[in-house]
Amino acid sequence: MSRFGCVLVEHFDAAAVERCEPALRESPLAIINASAPTGKIKTVLEANAEAREQGVRPGMTETEARARCPMLVTRPWVEEYVVAARDALLEAALAVSPRIEDGGAGLVYVDTVGLERLIGDPASIGRRLVHQARAVGLPARVGLAVSRTAARVAAARATGAVTVIPPGRERAALARAPLAALDLTPDLAATLARWGARTLGELAALPRDGLAMRLGPAGLRAHDLALGLDRDPFRPWTPPPFWEEAQGLEWEIDSIGALALVLETVLERLGQRLAAVALTADALEVRLGLASGGYHARAVSLAYPMGEVKPMLTLLVLDLEAHPPQAPVTRVAVSAHPIRTSAGQGGLWQPPAPVPRDLVSMLARLAALVGAENLGSPVLGDSHRPDDFTMLAFSPPVELEPSDHRGPRGWRSPRQNPATPDEPEHRLALRRTRPASRVDVETAGERPARVDARHVVACAGPWRASGEWWDAEAWARDEWDVVLGDGALCRLARDRLTGHWYLDGVYD
Amino acid sequence: MHDHRPHEGAPSTGGPTPKRVVPIRGEITEIVGALSSGRTSHLVACLRDVVSRCETAALVDTDETFDPAFASQAGVDLRRLLWVRCGGHRDVALRAADMLVRCPGFALVALDLGERVPRLSTTLAFRLKFAVRRTDVALLIVGRRRLTGSSAALAIETLREGIEWAGPGPVPTRLARVRTTTRVLRSRHAASGWSPSLWWSA
Repeated sequence: MSRFGCVLVEHFDAAAVERCEPALRESPLAIINASAPTGKIKTVLEANAEAREQGVRPGMTETEARARCPMLVTRPWVEEYVVAARDALLEAALAVSPRIEDGGAGLVYVDTVGLERLIGDPASIGRRLVHQARAVGLPARVGLAVSRTAARVAAARATGAVTVIPPGRERAALARAPLAALDLTPDLAATLARWGARTLGELAALPRDGLAMRLGPAGLRAHDLALGLDRDPFRPWTPPPFWEEAQGLEWEIDSIGALALVLETVLERLGQRLAAVALTADALEVRLGLASGGYHARAVSLAYPMGEVKPMLTLLVLDLEAHPPQAPVTRVAVSAHPIRTSAGQGGLWQPPAPVPRDLVSMLARLAALVGAENLGSPVLGDSHRPDDFTMLAFSPPVELEPSDHRGPRGWRSPRQNPATPDEPEHRLALRRTRPASRVDVETAGERPARVDARHVVACAGPWRASGEWWDAEAWARDEWDVVLGDGALCRLARDRLTGHWYLDGVYD
Repeated sequence: MHDHRPHEGAPSTGGPTPKRVVPIRGEITEIVGALSSGRTSHLVACLRDVVSRCETAALVDTDETFDPAFASQAGVDLRRLLWVRCGGHRDVALRAADMLVRCPGFALVALDLGERVPRLSTTLAFRLKFAVRRTDVALLIVGRRRLTGSSAALAIETLREGIEWAGPGPVPTRLARVRTTTRVLRSRHAASGWSPSLWWSA
């Protein structure tokens, strides 16, 4: 038998704002349509429970609402708040069950079949759902029944956090609920009202054949719903690849320090959502709405999957300091690319390594100091061209023994290449000149005799090398090892294509 | 807890001076010498020692002279090496090294200052010394002359002794190897003196 839970957050637009500004939870709050055209009267779109207790209702003008509730706090309706809260509620439910359905703003249906063995009885499942919703900042009520409609009506009419309708008791549980609980079309609701059916129990008592004859399929569907039967298919919801949190600002921010405080708040909410479903982020994208009307977007790769707010904030702030917005900021949105990382710990004999959290922060600071292109691990190119390498982001392997003993191209583990008699342990290093500096060389025969007016004491060569002759990037050179009069032991190279001499570097 | 005992290969009290420099964890080690005296080869050998133990090393390269191909041939696992290129800016290199020694987990932070070694105040040298002790990282400074004065636990001078050439005929065609020696300028653990010669293959 199927069983469903319904997670319901009442007055959802107000709850979405309270989630971003928790201090408003104890105050009467009204959400108004601040974007109404000039001259139009601003009206209340939504009000929280405290405001409703004092008579504030959606549809009132702001003036009327303030007359009824002098302490009323108003906030404009911000789409990002509602979208982020809606996603957060869905993800919170997803942390309990893999099958959930988006029922609209503030409404999530959860398929609870099989959860008894994991969590416990239906009441325990309901408490888990309430807990997950509260973890993302949304106060929810949960109803559990064999049908989604029965679960939703139970959640909407309940006074406690969790309401469970036992199997077979749906009709009795729904009997007192008003007809409006079914979200019927206005025409159908008016017709049923004319017939005297004002509750679901009265609707369920009507003869089914008569309803089918007079109202057709819509009447039969309404009758099924009144009996607690769902005929609509379950439409599972899957999380989007990017998760976003946003914050609208009532004032303009023109300093990174003040922006960091807002970013921290947004990242905390994002971190809570990721933690609720055991995910981490490996990339962040920040999108700043500007007072000039434009947007400033930055993508920040985290280099290491993480869920902690502090290093993520550090990386975002460092990136924004390097690439500041061109105008004051009026809106902040941060999205994360989530990935699942398996928990683990280092081996007993594994040497200590930088903690990823500290490492990414330190790398970001170094990147701000020297430039990201000057930081990383070198990877040798698959070529004999001198000084052919690329820089990759620094990410040291965590394993003690490489699983792939060949390793990535250009990476050579010392374990694969131990010192042998053929390859002596101590290798001479070259201090390379970058870029290779052009030098004037006088030759005796073909051998260098003077380099930039410095006498050559001894030399060896040429060591001929060439490559990529099949390509436009062809190169060919003769290398000479020379000892100069000042004692420097250098490597010279003569470009055989141009005839120029270069100082490759100094052996040291 | 910091273990300030000299590691294997480091100068030990009363013993002979070793051929190779081995930086001490939690201390500052300096290698000074003229160009082509072998100081960079010592630096690369130290990097190789660290990464071969699957530890992590960082190199602050002031003049961008590090050659990854030569280092790879010497046995350095480049994946475990963080290379920081400073474009010739000494102040940037010092700040980068200061950041790195404050990040626990690195076994070795090497600072290659090249030929132009800046002046470092005693205060900054002591800051480096205490940061290194706190994180138990080995800080290796390579340059033409000494930088940190009495804050260094070990200071070594390198000197080239000879060169061998190679080739099939009477005229050499390639550098074969270079012989160097080291002298202890300052050590808390070993007596000063010259070490036996060491050959570095080209």
